[in-house]
Amino acid sequence: MADLFWASMTELAGLIATKAVSPVEVVRVHLDRIAAHDEGLRSYVTICADGAMATAREAEAALMAGRPLGPLHGVPYGLKDLYDTAGIATTGGSKIFADRVPSTDATVTRRLADAGAILLGKLNMVEFAYGPEGLNPHYGHARNPWDAATHRLTGGSSSGSGAAVAAGLAPGALGSDTGGSIRIPASLCGITGLKPTYGRVSRAGVLPLAWSMDHVGPMTRTVADAAVMLTAMAGYDPADASSSVLPVPDYRGALTGDVKGLRIGLLRGFFLDGATSKVRDAVEAAARTLASAGAVVDEVSLAQVTNASAASLAIVGSEALAYHAETLRARAADYDPEVARRLRVAAFVGGAHYVRAQQVRALIRQDVDAALARRDVLLAPTTPIVAPALDERQVTLGDGPSAVRAALIRFTQPFNLSGHPACSVPCGFTAGGLPVGMQFVGRPFDEATVLRAADAFQRLTDFHARRPVLA
Amino acid sequence: MLPAMTSHSIDLDTLRHGARLAGFSWSDAELEEIRPQVEAALRLLRALEAIPVGDVEPTTHYRTV
Repeated sequence: MADLFWASMTELAGLIATKAVSPVEVVRVHLDRIAAHDEGLRSYVTICADGAMATAREAEAALMAGRPLGPLHGVPYGLKDLYDTAGIATTGGSKIFADRVPSTDATVTRRLADAGAILLGKLNMVEFAYGPEGLNPHYGHARNPWDAATHRLTGGSSSGSGAAVAAGLAPGALGSDTGGSIRIPASLCGITGLKPTYGRVSRAGVLPLAWSMDHVGPMTRTVADAAVMLTAMAGYDPADASSSVLPVPDYRGALTGDVKGLRIGLLRGFFLDGATSKVRDAVEAAARTLASAGAVVDEVSLAQVTNASAASLAIVGSEALAYHAETLRARAADYDPEVARRLRVAAFVGGAHYVRAQQVRALIRQDVDAALARRDVLLAPTTPIVAPALDERQVTLGDGPSAVRAALIRFTQPFNLSGHPACSVPCGFTAGGLPVGMQFVGRPFDEATVLRAADAFQRLTDFHARRPVLA
Repeated sequence: MLPAMTSHSIDLDTLRHGARLAGFSWSDAELEEIRPQVEAALRLLRALEAIPVGDVEPTTHYRTV
């Protein structure tokens, strides 16, 4: 197969299982692609070339011996560098943790290995996942692959995951999402990103930003791949106190391609009216596409989401500072100055404000639950803007000016507060060739319907199949 | 009741005091550097105080079962 690095994880698993290609060949193709392009993209912090090739040879031997194969047997992937990996540095994107080598794997790392996936390397990220732009002064700013001429933001904090998957340097990756850190880079880099329900996937062995807001999930080029990864990752884990005991369905099996009768609430007000016109136009066109395929689309607004940024500031700031306080006292100069500043500001949030924010959070959740009581999914832009240039600080949204940082997290953080599952997919491109993202939001633990809707959209369109031309 | 915040502006003494209460001994330069962000945060926290939350209980966990 030509351009094997553009094959989806599902396609690669099929090619490997039928012995059409060897896992060794698949891994080598991706390592070659990384060697050719990552100096410019800065998507990887650590490349596990020797380990990946050794594992690929073992996978090939297992295949030839006829041993049972996992659903991702021989398929490579990348990990945001906050997932613990035994014997491999896990930096959290920080020089403070540059030499931190865990002795055990994160639960999801282990589960993906059990499914047969092969780790290509650890991916760049915003230091300690505290920021949505995707910048990292220690390991270099990841670059959005969709603009070879201008350095544009990948979005973050899972910046390397977004860039690597979009550029064919990994067919899939894991990110983490505390205020949008999976969905924002998915939107800006034109890929699929799934934030599952809080509690659906174990956070054990994943460096925290804010325990009550952190979600882990897949970033892929297709929804079908996200479904396969989620099935392998999800499920109860006694090592994570917030992990759900609900059984894990076969998410791939839920992808029927059928949206007839599916009730979709298009989020107006804060969401669509707050987006730039090119983003709003793309999402409205996507809603019409889904309606033409039989979905029942109406419009709905969420009144409480305007309070999300205040609640998020109090909760994420307080929890992040609690985790970092000791290190901040001892090694403040070693932090990214921007991250240190955010942590310092959090020292001025009081306990009563934290609790008030948790009350507001309950109101936001009730609001989203109410909107979903008569609908199967909600639909909204993922980000109000497309990828800004590196030096862009201010943007004009549909309802006024905004700092880039605030704009990036505006539509995603409400669902970190509420805990609902949300999946971002590309839904258009600007005239300049930059991707536009939209997110489907579903009921708690109903990732199956979210993925079904998102996959159906990908069967109706080709936005997810477009590829950037790299510099 | 939450502690009332009567102003969004904050002077260096108050910043020093707040940092000390939180267990940090930051320099005046470090405090001056974050003053605009602290003032912006206070504006958001003030907005948080104004939200009518009734008797809703704070979220601590998503219902996981």
